[in-house]
Amino acid sequence: MKFALIGNPSVGKSLIFNQLTGLGVEVSNYPGTTVELQRGNTCFQREIVELVDLPGVYSLDGNSDEEGLVRRFLEQQDVDAVIVVANATRLERNLYLLLQVAEYGLPMVVVLNMADEAAKRGLEIDPGPIHDLLGVEVILTAASQGKNIDRIIPAALAASRPSAVEIPYDHHIEAAIRSLGKMFGADRKESVRALLGFGDNPELLEAARTISDEIEARHRMTVTQIIAANRHNFAHKIADLTLREEVQLPQTDPDSILTRIIPGMPILLGILIGMLLFVFVVGSFLEEMIVEFFDVYAMQPFVALGLPPLAEELGVSILIALQAGLGIAFPYVFLFYIIISILEDSGYMTRAAFLADNAMHRVGMHGGAVIPFTLAFGCNVPAIMSIRLLRSRRERIIASFLVTMVPCSARTVIIAGIVASFVGIAAAFSVYAIVFLLILITGLVLSRVTPGERFGMIMEMVPLRWPDPKLVMKKSWARLSEFLFIAMPLLLAGSIVLGLLDFFGVMTIFEEFVEPYTMALLGLPGYAATALIFGILRKEMAFETLAILADTADLGAVLTSLQLYIFAVVTVLFVPCLATITVLLREVGSRITLAITVYTVTLGLLIGGLIHYLFS
Amino acid sequence: MLPSTFEDYLEAILTITENGGRAATLDEIAAALDTGKEAAGTTVAALVEGGYLERADGGAVRLTGQGLSVASQVARKHRVLQCFLTEMLGVDEDAASKEACTLEHGISDETIDRLSSYMDGAQSPPGRMGRCRGRDCTLLDCKEGDTVRVAMMHGQRRHRRLLDLGIFPGEIVQIRRKLPNESVVVRVKGCDIAISPEIARAIVVESCP
Ligand SMILES: Nc1nc2c(ncn2[C@@H]2O[C@H](COP(=O)(O)OP(=O)(O)O)[C@@H](O)[C@H]2O)c(=O)[nH]1
Ligand SMILES: [Mg+2]
Repeated sequence: MKFALIGNPSVGKSLIFNQLTGLGVEVSNYPGTTVELQRGNTCFQREIVELVDLPGVYSLDGNSDEEGLVRRFLEQQDVDAVIVVANATRLERNLYLLLQVAEYGLPMVVVLNMADEAAKRGLEIDPGPIHDLLGVEVILTAASQGKNIDRIIPAALAASRPSAVEIPYDHHIEAAIRSLGKMFGADRKESVRALLGFGDNPELLEAARTISDEIEARHRMTVTQIIAANRHNFAHKIADLTLREEVQLPQTDPDSILTRIIPGMPILLGILIGMLLFVFVVGSFLEEMIVEFFDVYAMQPFVALGLPPLAEELGVSILIALQAGLGIAFPYVFLFYIIISILEDSGYMTRAAFLADNAMHRVGMHGGAVIPFTLAFGCNVPAIMSIRLLRSRRERIIASFLVTMVPCSARTVIIAGIVASFVGIAAAFSVYAIVFLLILITGLVLSRVTPGERFGMIMEMVPLRWPDPKLVMKKSWARLSEFLFIAMPLLLAGSIVLGLLDFFGVMTIFEEFVEPYTMALLGLPGYAATALIFGILRKEMAFETLAILADTADLGAVLTSLQLYIFAVVTVLFVPCLATITVLLREVGSRITLAITVYTVTLGLLIGGLIHYLFS
Repeated sequence: MLPSTFEDYLEAILTITENGGRAATLDEIAAALDTGKEAAGTTVAALVEGGYLERADGGAVRLTGQGLSVASQVARKHRVLQCFLTEMLGVDEDAASKEACTLEHGISDETIDRLSSYMDGAQSPPGRMGRCRGRDCTLLDCKEGDTVRVAMMHGQRRHRRLLDLGIFPGEIVQIRRKLPNESVVVRVKGCDIAISPEIARAIVVESCP
């Protein structure tokens, strides 16, 4: 048995999917979280049921990637039933998609989610009319509370007949459906789809096109518009029957402050700067505690053992890697993920997108690009994945350049660990200033030179709600554990390799070789170059490697403030990390990835060299 | 279609008879059209022949049902055109009336309908839609809090998503927010939709009745 979850974006499909399968796919309150099919299994009465979580779509007739994906999926008819999830507080608009799905003629179950919020707004929902009109089971759920989720699978198993609904169309369209039916034996669904330009029978499509042209000449609207309007109007009728006794409860409208320039803009900037400051201050405090703890309870006892030199070198390398990994993961990465998860779940991202729309136009994108940018502060990888919500290749190329330049949490570690601790917090913020300025300039230039189309923003403002602390922690933890399982082994291996190379004197040879160049260009000692190269594996390894190579965590004692500053700036700009490169390859192709890599390396060396030249 | 002189006669008779309520004498008709009584007599005879007029007592004539419908249509065209010329283009009253007399015979019903609904959208209430004189009003011409009806959408293949979110010709939308930089939020079907300026500009609106 195979069922698919389908519905508008941000209606709770992924949350329901997670609850049914026990998996942990991303759940976020903004459009475009799920971009690919997610598959999972669940058991019901000892039978394995396969469940597919589809990306959220507003329609099955659109031309976006997700809509194409969902359409192809439904056309294969490779599911036993579809589970249509609708947001009960936005019922009318959700019914529009539901009617389209019903027209596809697959057995289906309707899930009216967010019943808790509907109740809070004083909406009384009667599932009867939908049940009667469509002839399908309707379940009222509240996924965040797990209410009625257990009824979904049994209902889907019981669903055997497709919905019998016939959307009443304009009489011209109805006439066209009849004549296409007579001429080609096409059924209602095929005829409607042919009128919209979909299908694989060229003769039917041709005839449909002729009829559409005729209808369009007579109406002021295109056939696509007429059909959409008819569906919306039918959805309106059903919604009217379903929602009863709407008691107008007094509602506070946070949008009245969030989406105005004043105070919306200051709030937006405040959130951005506050997020960085918070991670800096709390992060470095926590990091110190963890490092201290490690020193006292692991490092010192180990050294006190007095093992033979090679064993000691290896042991220390492992301990340093663990210390650095944990010292970075929890304070910086985890904190960032928590803050970003809160932003995601609150629905604030769409408000930020609206406010920043104009600014983003200047750099060749639209407001939606705010979402990848915010995510990039946590980690560039999911950020690059989310640039799919930008529609044109041009916008995606620009975004991929700019997003890889945003200092992710690992780069924050470098800025905080090197600049803030040894040079000062103002200097640390100046690194951000430099990076943001470069991002801005890059954007301005790219928006001039990148060829391709522009699309503006059409974005639904999702409902604002208080994030559920449990869900926020769960999501942050899932993301952090990804970090722990991918980054920690790398850190460990890297640290051991370094330790061994150092032990056998290979390092010294390399460093002596590069030192003249790094000294001349950046004013940095040779081992800094090694650290930079390790930074390609994982950004935070640059910091850690530097500490190992300098043989002390007190970097201030061996390098000048200027050297530390230059090192940090170069590392932050220098080459995206391996994981980012991998996802860039997948999302924008090898040419753009290469361009981004070359660009960031050049930029890093150039700016580093410039600072060296200006200040020493 | 009737020759334009015939239409002029019917229109004049409609005015004289106060919408066909009574009969009109040949004298009145000749005076209204500024011609001789003889010429008027010939045309009136032809219109009676065509079934647009019927003879009444004392040489007077009155409009038949068919005549009434043609006459009212022409009169409406005249009204709409004159209104368009004076209100929207600022042509002076007399000149506009003369122009309208010529134009009313050549213009199609469809165009008049559109012109009329265009002006409905553009005229009332003052200060709101009046801002976009001489061109289509778009979402960008609205103020925060305005409730308007979508009249037409340009570039709709590109902006297909608008249609799916419920923004289509005939739908009523409310402008929830409009930033100085012209990004707008509209409420439609109980949902707020953020729209970039270049897209909002493609949505032509008219004021709600
Ligand atoms: N209050 C409330 N929130 C919910 C409910 N279901 C989902 N959410 C929240 O809605 C947002 C969108 O959920 P998600 O599963 O990502 O939606 P998807 O885009 O349809 O996959 C998340 O922030 C969820 O926590 C519900 O029944 N009640
Ligand atoms: Mg999802």
